[in-house]
This record gives sequence, structure tokens and C-alpha cells, in this order.
Amino acid sequence: MDQSFDLPDSTDWLETPLSLLAPFESSLRCQVCKDFFDNPVITSCSHTFCSLCIRRCLSTEGKCPACRSSDQELKLRRNWAVQELVDAFKLARPSVLELARRENTRLARGEEEIEKPAQKKRKVNHLEEEELQVPETNSQGRRTRSQKSIDSSARERTVPQIVPEVIEDSQDDEEYIPEDGLVACPICFRKMKEEAVFPHLNVHQQEEDSPKKTPTKTASFGSLKGAPQKGLNLPSKQPERLPAINYSILKDNALRKKLRDLGIPDWGQKQLLQRRHTEWMNLWNANCDSKHPKPKRVLLQELDIWERTQGGHATAPSPFTTSNNVMRKDFDASEWSNSHDDDFKRLIANARKKSEAKARQTIPGGCPSSSGQKEPQSQQGAGLPVDGARVEFGPDTDGNNVIDLSG
Amino acid sequence: MFATKRLSKMQEHVPPGIAIVKCDNLEEWQMDIKILDQNPLYLDQTYRLKFTFSNKYPIEPPEVQFIQCPDSTGTPRTIPMHPHIYSNGIICLDLLGSAGWSPVQTVESVCMSLQSMLTANNRNERPPGDQEFIATNRRRIRDINFVYEDDNV
Repeated sequence: MDQSFDLPDSTDWLETPLSLLAPFESSLRCQVCKDFFDNPVITSCSHTFCSLCIRRCLSTEGKCPACRSSDQELKLRRNWAVQELVDAFKLARPSVLELARRENTRLARGEEEIEKPAQKKRKVNHLEEEELQVPETNSQGRRTRSQKSIDSSARERTVPQIVPEVIEDSQDDEEYIPEDGLVACPICFRKMKEEAVFPHLNVHQQEEDSPKKTPTKTASFGSLKGAPQKGLNLPSKQPERLPAINYSILKDNALRKKLRDLGIPDWGQKQLLQRRHTEWMNLWNANCDSKHPKPKRVLLQELDIWERTQGGHATAPSPFTTSNNVMRKDFDASEWSNSHDDDFKRLIANARKKSEAKARQTIPGGCPSSSGQKEPQSQQGAGLPVDGARVEFGPDTDGNNVIDLSG
Repeated sequence: MFATKRLSKMQEHVPPGIAIVKCDNLEEWQMDIKILDQNPLYLDQTYRLKFTFSNKYPIEPPEVQFIQCPDSTGTPRTIPMHPHIYSNGIICLDLLGSAGWSPVQTVESVCMSLQSMLTANNRNERPPGDQEFIATNRRRIRDINFVYEDDNV
């Protein structure tokens, strides 16, 4: 699967006979990042988002993105049920989608035979004479690959009645396991007896956990009974969450020291330090919501990506990020020119306004951005770099002026 | 990374009256929108929108404005007439400001909001102070502190 161009998306279902799965899949995706929920958490207004997404939103705005009610990170709770739904759906998705697409091709070409999927089609056709509506449920039993351990019982039920229908079956047998009683590990696909799978999964779990330092202990997986959602109800021992910091009471050096103590880069101006700390806190605390927390070095890599895209190493200050881009080396230069740029614009605007005002002697009263509004605004713009981290939202806190036009 | 997934999402399945014109990078997209009802102000017209995404999208709003295309491009586009749209294409709409934006919005949802904003309008006029505004404004769109002073348009 080419990650960049074949992104799985809920619209994948639309061209298939299973188009009703599109809304189903959207509901398993985070409204902020549009990807499948990753460590879903539920807000106090009962909306669910990826832990990291909602933390970023809340640390920026303090509001739920879906309904705009205020919320705090502390009130977020993990939403295991959604996690299970997502995990199970992701597991089933490729095979179901492939099936649905095949069915679609078949429908599109009528009943005519096509070379490769012919064998499958024939089977489906046979079945469909009676069950036109639900071809996919039947064939799913044969086609599942990764799902085997989950619905092995279902397969055993359906397979026997389907197999006799198969005339040529060269390829198909690789796809499902014959009834030798063996099922494949969902992780390494090694085949083993069904009872052995769950003890075996612990091996993977330990492999995964062993390089970690942060979680003090590997979770015991005693609770793994017969369910595919391994360990969901028994998260690994959590690394401790990071508390929020009131940046305004901290001096630069104190904050710098805090960052150093956390083991994250401590260079840059205070504003950058704040933003970096916020991002780290979000990454860290979101990781705490994970059933398999990542080791700290992975989080550090993620912070590094942030640093390069949005933090102090962000390239080419684009027009809308200039005020946040505190580059260590050319900090003075760019900030200087930026603030002066704003000043220039303000001066020019003022001069224009004055001359126009003289010429016309009237200033339109109801102008949405009448002159009274402009000056303080552009001054704020010029002052931004000196301000705190929330610069981009600072000037906009005059929400009381805002009347909703969208309705 | 965020944005990559996000922006690649829609591709083929866009709502009616909305078309992707240009989406070859993750910084700027262009969309065409049409007003689908019989509103005489916008009948049979297509308007072009420019979306500019920052690397904080979707936490922060994209900049969205209408743009003009001269006849020579083969797809002439004008700036729709609306009491909240300045003649340079800048749109006064709360959901595009930092205060009104929500990360759950998408390019489609913004386009649809603009469609409905146009559909609902029956005033063939520019915002008050339009000429002054376009003559004097040199600020970035997001810095403009609109006062959303009326909600009946």
C-alpha cells in the first residue's frame, strides 16, 4: 500500500456494494486528524478524539472542537470501547474491502468471466443465485487472512458448505487455513493451535515491551482470555503524566531548567520553550493513554519532527507562522524585519487613512474593520513576538464581539 | 503529517457544486464552488476559492479567500457580490477566524458554509467601507479583526 497515494479512507467504500460502510468507517475516525482513532479519549461533553489531537486542541483553545464547550485535559478519559472497535475494524478492513471491490468489478462486468478472480467469482455466483444480497458475508469466511484467529469458528461453519462448490481452487487454499485446527498468530502469522495463540501473544508483548525504560513494569497479560483485544482492559503500567505548567510565573531560566530536566531541548526564547513544553506534554500524556506506551526515545523523535515542522527549526517562515518562528540563529534579523514590516504597514495604512479621511471627510461608520479597530490590531501584530506562547490566539480573545454567521 | 492525511482525504468525493481545481501541494489549494439554487445573484456562476494552510492546520484555520481569474485563463472567475465579501476576495466569516474555527472543519465543510452563505444572501452589495478596506488592508487575512456585527445576512 502506497502510503502517500493510496490512503485508506472512508470513501473507499462508496464505489462498492458496501457503500453503507462509509459512514460507519467515518464514525471510527477522529474528526480532527481524519485518521482512525489513535488512543481515543472521551471529553466531558462526550465527544471522542485521538488523545493527541484533543490535547493539542485543548492546549491551544481549551474547547472541544466538536461542540465548543470548555474542557480540560485532566478530564479526558480513555475510551476503550472505541479502541476495540477501531482495532477490530482495521483488522477486518482490507479483506472486506477487497471483497467488496471484487464484487463490484463482477457486478460491473456482468456475469462474464474474468481471468484471475474467476475462481472466486464462480463460487460467489453459485451462492448468489440464492443469496444475492449478502455475498460478502459468505465469502468473508474464505477470504480472511489476518482475521483468522478471530472468526475461526465462523469460518469452520461456513467453509465446509462453500468448499464443495469450488471447482478449481489452486490459489484459494493459501488464503485460508484448512481444517487442521491451526490458527495463525495475528502478529507473526505463525500457525499454532488455537489455545496456544494467546500465551504466544505474550511473547510478542514482551518483545515489544522489553526495550522500554519508561513503563516500570511490563503489563501482565493474565487477562487475555479468548478476546482479540489483547490487554485492552489492563493497560501497561502507566508512565506518570506531566502536569501543566503555569508559564507566566516561570522565569526563562527556570523553564529552561524544566525542559532540561525533562530531557528535551532547552534552547530558544521563552516563547519557543513554552510551545515546546506544551507539545512535549501533549505527546507524553497522549502516550500515557496508549495501551502500549511508546518508549521515550520515540516520543523524542516525534518532538523532533514537531521541532522541524512547527518549532524552532521550522523552515522558511511562511507568512502565517512568522510570529511564532523563533529561529535561533537568525532570530534577531527575522523578528526585527517582521515587526518593522508590520509597523510599516500600519504607518502606510494610517497615512492612507488620513489622506482619505481628509479627502472625504467621512469615515464609513459600520465598516466591519473600521479605523478604530485597525490600529490596536496592527499594534498587537507588531508586538506579537514579545508576547507569550499563545500569540496567535491572544488578539482573538474578544469572542464576545463575535456573532455566529454560519447558522 | 497531520495535514497530509487530512488534505488527501477528499479527492474524488466532493459535495455537489464543489470542485477541486488545484491540490498538488499541502500549502495551497484552489476550489471552485457553485451556488446550486436559483439565487439570481449567483446564477450560473462559478467562484474560485484559495485555501492557504499553515503547518498548524487543522488546529489553526486555513486562510480562505475568493480569487479572480481573468478571461484569458479560460476559466474566468469573479468575486461574488456579498455584504461580507470584500471586492478583493477577503471573506468576513467567523468560522475562518481563529475564534470561530474548529479543527473538525474541513475544506469541504468550509466550501459548503460559503455556498450557504451565498445562497442565503439577497443583497447585491459589498461590505460597508469596502473601497477603503481594500485600499488600506495589507495585513494577513488572519490578523484582520473582523467584527461580526450582523447575523441576518
